[in-house]
Amino acid sequence: MRNSKKTLAAIVAAASLVGFAACGSSADSTDASTENATGQIVFWGWDSGNSMKDIIKQFEKANPGITVKFNNTGTANDTSTALSNAIAAGNGAPDVVMLEDPTVTQFAVTGGLVDLSKFGADSYKSDFAQGPWNKVQYDSKPYALPIDSGPEMFFYNKAVFDKAGVDAAQIKTWDDYYAAAKKIRATGSYITNVSGGANDYQPFTAQAWQAGAQPWKVNGDNITINMTKDAGMQKYIAFQQKLIDEDLIDTKTTNWSDDWNRELNDGTLASLTIGAWMPVNLISGAPDQAGNWRVAQLPQWKSGEEVSAEDGGSALSIVSQSKNQAAAYKFIDYLTHGDGAQIMADTGTFPSLKSILSSKEFVDPTTASNKKTNDYFGGQNVNKVLSEAAQRPVTAFQYLPYNPYAQNAYGDEIAKAYTKEISLEQAMQNYAKNLAEHGKQQGYTVTLK
Amino acid sequence: MSEQMVDRSAVAAQQPSTTASPRKEAGYVHRHRADWRGWKFMWPFALVFVFVFVVPIVYAVWISFFQNRMIGGTSFVGLQNYSRLFVDAQFWSSVGRVALFTVVQVPIMLFLAGVMALALDSLKLHGTKFFRISTFLPYAVPAVVSTMIWGFVYGSKYGLVGSLNDVFGTNIDVLKPSVLLAAIGNINTWEFTGYNMLIFYSSLSTIPHALYEAASIDGASEWQTIRRIKIPELRGSLAITVIFSIIGSFQLFNEPSVLQNMVPGNAITTYYTPNMYAYNLSFAGGQSNYAAALAIVMAVMTMAIAYMVQLKSMKEQMK
Repeated sequence: MRNSKKTLAAIVAAASLVGFAACGSSADSTDASTENATGQIVFWGWDSGNSMKDIIKQFEKANPGITVKFNNTGTANDTSTALSNAIAAGNGAPDVVMLEDPTVTQFAVTGGLVDLSKFGADSYKSDFAQGPWNKVQYDSKPYALPIDSGPEMFFYNKAVFDKAGVDAAQIKTWDDYYAAAKKIRATGSYITNVSGGANDYQPFTAQAWQAGAQPWKVNGDNITINMTKDAGMQKYIAFQQKLIDEDLIDTKTTNWSDDWNRELNDGTLASLTIGAWMPVNLISGAPDQAGNWRVAQLPQWKSGEEVSAEDGGSALSIVSQSKNQAAAYKFIDYLTHGDGAQIMADTGTFPSLKSILSSKEFVDPTTASNKKTNDYFGGQNVNKVLSEAAQRPVTAFQYLPYNPYAQNAYGDEIAKAYTKEISLEQAMQNYAKNLAEHGKQQGYTVTLK
Repeated sequence: MSEQMVDRSAVAAQQPSTTASPRKEAGYVHRHRADWRGWKFMWPFALVFVFVFVVPIVYAVWISFFQNRMIGGTSFVGLQNYSRLFVDAQFWSSVGRVALFTVVQVPIMLFLAGVMALALDSLKLHGTKFFRISTFLPYAVPAVVSTMIWGFVYGSKYGLVGSLNDVFGTNIDVLKPSVLLAAIGNINTWEFTGYNMLIFYSSLSTIPHALYEAASIDGASEWQTIRRIKIPELRGSLAITVIFSIIGSFQLFNEPSVLQNMVPGNAITTYYTPNMYAYNLSFAGGQSNYAAALAIVMAVMTMAIAYMVQLKSMKEQMK
């Protein structure tokens, strides 16, 4: 793909061909009754648990008359790219699509998705954990139902902490964390890595969110961007700057790189603050450290508080182009709120449904999948800690409606702070300007603070 | 430097000469009645050509006159995308980067390729066949794969460079921002030297043997044979390889994209090369119209440079 002209040409060629075939009729089924829904629905998404086929089979058995055609569209990015192309073309979009939570608003704003409250989804509010539920709301209406969640957790390598003489179980606040970081650095390891690349965007939003930051406020066509004067942001920036200045974090290793896995595996990186979906990645990425890793609640900004934040998570939406929205709703209801949710949870998806999170089976250490994870975590009941985090309160947090762009531009602007070219505050200011510029290009009225 | 791309641009670069000749010929054939029989043979090609070549380009030009906003939808903006592009600092920094890359990497690569071709042609090497295949082999490895291999070699912590650092007690990092472009240039040189060598080598092998015999009868030394016979012969293929290489360098995409996650400190930005910028604008930024304008400007720029090289080399050959 050296030549984007060619790529672009191929895409526009495909788009124009689709355009010829398009008859431009948009969905007119506004029938909110799903009782007698039948027909075929097309479903785009990814299948990380490798369980979609089975779940669809179960669904079709329980709902005779509806068939589901599943297209594995690869990564979350590929899926949202494909969806935006299909929406732009006016034709060819699926009925149901899986999206990462923060991208839901982007499609909701432009009218690509269906407001699910017309099927009564708004009544599910108290059934889902607060974090994922909040992320799929636009204009106070649900535009997706969460399929999983990712409360931010504190994962640590007990062996490395022991060597440094730190009892990680006693780390309750970010100040405790800072003190531990110094002791760990003295042993040659780093408490964690932050390089300011695009992959650090999710942990950044989670940590700032937990600090109560409101960097982005979206109200219809109006966006307020406040990356440096917001109190929560200032707390976050000052803390990170301290870690950078005192060389307490590894700024040369990027999340999800090969080096990252190796450093997790050889103990160079002593801990991670990342989503609750991490255990399975640790088990495969850092096999040599089996038995050493533990998980704990995220350190707090104020001692005694129990504030959580979200990192990652995906959801299911119905696309406005869908001509069979009733059947589509039946399917997403089954997968997120019905029996399908249990099957998903059993195959490794971290649930967002409170009833599963607090069920006995979920924290039962004797089930095969729980046992495997707990063994890696030195016999700790991992799901118990995670489910506690998932049910902690979270404050409201808004992402920009152009979240994929924000994630991409994050690395361009913020990395300079982690290579010590400029201060993090300056980098955040540049980032804010960049985001404001893009917002204006996209037709928003942007206030930059 | 995908071959198809190369063909297309070569065709584009030669267009002035090919469009000139039919007009001239028309004078001779005008007594014949218009004959459409030729099109019966032509239509399978013409159809494919129009759909996969002409339509996408026309469409890209067309959409570059529009803007699609999240708020407000699609609207006609005339040349606004182009005027925005001309003051876009990120775009020009990416163009500057690939220009620097071209000016440094292409001469090194072509020099190496020329030396290798002359060495092969000298018939003084043992294992010529093995040598020929093994220098060409990197070209057959997909760029994504070879970049990953090089990424592992370059790693200053766990890569080969890291191991060498451990052995010698040094602290060399070939992926730091100041030398990163050179590291990418090295990958490209490794990938494409063999390919260019083959072009040189094939043009050397067209030299009739009688010329060498005559030279040796005249008492020419090996060096004189190279200077007076072989290097002049290489000139024609040099123009081709220069054009191919410039096009390839301006389209730099695979290597920096793959390295992006292997390089610390986000040194490879989303606008590192023009193609990466277009890709990110289009797929992460939702600005395909602007990306289309960028693609067209880059295409025109590349064609202009390729055409200039072509003209210059034609003039030289006339001498």
